[in-house]
Amino acid sequence: MSISSKDLATTPGPTAPAKAPNQHLRRNPPIAGEAEAIQKAQAGDGPSFEILYALHKRRVYSLCLRMLGNVAEAEDLTQEAFLQLYRKIATFRGDSAFSTWLHRLAVNVVLMHLRKKGLPQVSLEETLEPSQEDGPRKDIGARDLTLSGSVDRVTLERAIENLPPGYRLVFVLHDVEGYEHNEIAGMLECSIGNSKSQLHKARMKLRDLLRSGQRKEAVL
Amino acid sequence: MSNVRDCASFQDQLPSLFESGEDLSTHPHLETCENCSALVRDLEYIAQQAKLLLPIHDPSPEVWENIQTALKKEPSRVK
Repeated sequence: MSISSKDLATTPGPTAPAKAPNQHLRRNPPIAGEAEAIQKAQAGDGPSFEILYALHKRRVYSLCLRMLGNVAEAEDLTQEAFLQLYRKIATFRGDSAFSTWLHRLAVNVVLMHLRKKGLPQVSLEETLEPSQEDGPRKDIGARDLTLSGSVDRVTLERAIENLPPGYRLVFVLHDVEGYEHNEIAGMLECSIGNSKSQLHKARMKLRDLLRSGQRKEAVL
Repeated sequence: MSNVRDCASFQDQLPSLFESGEDLSTHPHLETCENCSALVRDLEYIAQQAKLLLPIHDPSPEVWENIQTALKKEPSRVK
């Protein structure tokens, strides 16, 4: 399994990630002044491009950081994403929210980068092409701590950082960023079933990480 | 009372069950299996919490400085 370049063109497609309406609104709320800044930036206005950077840098960088787990790489790719934005903003037609369009562009920049690197060190190949015995680990008879209500944002962020890269990629795209399995399958050139399976394994792994953290705290 | 084989079978189905959006609280296996009920609760909780994660990280100021430097080398669009 590898990510090929053919689906990783850095121009986002016209299809916005399908989301539940409330999620879509939460992730893409109207931003005051954005429409005017887009229009002016499309005409080549530098200060307007800077406004767009200021409005969206956090979201793009957070996405890069979560997908890559590395500050230096995340900053490099944030830079690359905005350079791509500069080159392509004239092609934005408003078929989807600008933030959705930019977000997809940033995802593609990250995936292109991962492909050039040969994919994550622990490897998407490991996690997207499970070996026969690599089915989701079962949790049978292990009654123990439950997580509900006990995990704060920082703890979850840290656990996500500790996921194997391939798991992290699918988890971040689906559960954090709200992409659907068919979109993830298209991006990663894997089957929809594989995307679902990897997501499940990622959640199981996160559960293990979070529970082991709780056990350590309980001992202390 | 569920047995290990029931749990394994149920957990094999979990990715599809989650994706279906079905209310798993009424699933017959969960009525008798405390362990799988806890597992489902945890996995649902993780997915819910992930959706609440908002962008919280800011790039360093150097990123914009680097972008500006790079833009100066681009064919002129920015005025």
